[in-house]
Amino acid sequence: MFRFMADYKGDETTGFQSPAQDYIEGVVDLAAILDLRRPGRYPVRVKGQALAARGIRDGDILVADAAAEPRPGVVCVAMVGGDVILATLTRTGASWVLAPSSGPIITVAEDVEVWAIVQALVRTAV
Amino acid sequence: MFALIDGNSFYCSCERAFDPTLRGKPLAVLSNNDGCAIARTQEAKDLGLKMGEPWHLASKRQELKPVIWMSSNYALYGDMSRRMYELLCEEAPRVEPYSIDEMFLDYAGLPGDLLALSARIRERVRTVAKIPTCVGIGPTKTIAKLANKVAKGVRGGDGLCDFARKEEREEAYKTIPLGEVWGLGRASVAKLARRGVESVADFTALRADEVRELLTVTGVRTQAELKGTVCYPFSVSPLTRKSLAVTRSFGKPVLAWPDMEQAIAAYATRAAEKLRRRGLVATAMQVFLRTNEFNSDPKYANQSTFEIEPTADSFALMGDAVRAGRRLWRDGFRYAKAGVVLLDLKPAAELPQELFASRDPERSARLMIALDTVNARYGRQTLKPAVTGLGQSWSMRRQRLSPRYTTHFDEVLLARA
Repeated sequence: MFRFMADYKGDETTGFQSPAQDYIEGVVDLAAILDLRRPGRYPVRVKGQALAARGIRDGDILVADAAAEPRPGVVCVAMVGGDVILATLTRTGASWVLAPSSGPIITVAEDVEVWAIVQALVRTAV
Repeated sequence: MFALIDGNSFYCSCERAFDPTLRGKPLAVLSNNDGCAIARTQEAKDLGLKMGEPWHLASKRQELKPVIWMSSNYALYGDMSRRMYELLCEEAPRVEPYSIDEMFLDYAGLPGDLLALSARIRERVRTVAKIPTCVGIGPTKTIAKLANKVAKGVRGGDGLCDFARKEEREEAYKTIPLGEVWGLGRASVAKLARRGVESVADFTALRADEVRELLTVTGVRTQAELKGTVCYPFSVSPLTRKSLAVTRSFGKPVLAWPDMEQAIAAYATRAAEKLRRRGLVATAMQVFLRTNEFNSDPKYANQSTFEIEPTADSFALMGDAVRAGRRLWRDGFRYAKAGVVLLDLKPAAELPQELFASRDPERSARLMIALDTVNARYGRQTLKPAVTGLGQSWSMRRQRLSPRYTTHFDEVLLARA
């Protein structure tokens, strides 16, 4: 789209002075709200419908934070063997376990990494 | 006190961060055009893969069959380096990104146990920025760098080495070969070896005037740093350069001038972008092209260096570069590489107003701002001079490229629900 005035934001008018001049704010910045520039924040795309009951659907973009503290009940991105999966993090006694949406409970051990914890969700097709 | 934190096999670690199937496997990342190995995991080193080994030869070696080869994904590595830097800024008062995979930390004024702090930082970089690292601590950059090398050399170690205390490091100096020291090149090390100077301790024992005679003032500084006197202070100014080069080997040989013209125009455009980002203008230029040096193709190489009207305008630089390239071009050769080097760079602000400039500087500046803004917003090469080509058959070969997990919406990590 061609704009004759490249950066008109509702402030610099040519005829009448804009009463909004001193009140101009930028467009809502989703990257800032989702804190995407934080070093531990990673976008992750969901594959599969198994977490639909928690409101997480196929194709959604999750904002996962590798710096977040693990808490029982949160959804996390985990690396299990060679797979990247979503699972609910819970606790049994002293150890953390992963409850995937299907399949058996996985104990967090040597080749299981809680990679990041899901903090927010973006859906571009509603 | 300084620390140097350095990513282990950084490029490989970036790949492994997002792809768990690569963990524990021998992995190598290849240079541009999938040329040779530029990063190797420990497993690949253990199989005997050397730094810089050409892929087309190494991939045929029987013992290297298990190695997984990947093209370099600099969009990913750059973003992972940014993450590492930002995380470190949360922990240390000052951070100097020395290179894409190593950063100096200034521990000045920090209370408490610096070794414990380093261990904590190292653990956070691993869990948050997903990069395994080693940390060296010392009162000068050269010592911190040496400590880092020592930490890296210990297999299955804790990835830390503390040379803060004089007695401890001087004891260690006796067994560390001089080649490990930052700032001493191969020639200097060989020169010293002929004098029987082989360990770091031998070197620090030399008199300063002997060192000056052998290695000039740079060697004297390195020696002083090894003894604990700071000669290289903390720096936060990015590399200032006198020249700026965009040179690439072609994905496949270039045989026709229109393809070469595209390539040279594209390199000049890219160089101009980098120039503007740094607020500089170029006052001279070099253009070169050449055939493959290593195979049996007929050989031709030529270059031209010339002064230009000081500018950072993509179109002006492109015109100069393409005209020079045309003069160098000879039909009938299989060209393997070309490059555009901008020389004698000066800050744009210091540029004297040309009385009879061939381009209106106001208009040029506005056009370039528009170009850069669009490309920043919609991705590189959204707007580009048409002569740089749409097909780009000569462009880089990157057959084993991983997704740009963190910078491209369509390529983010997939997780199975």
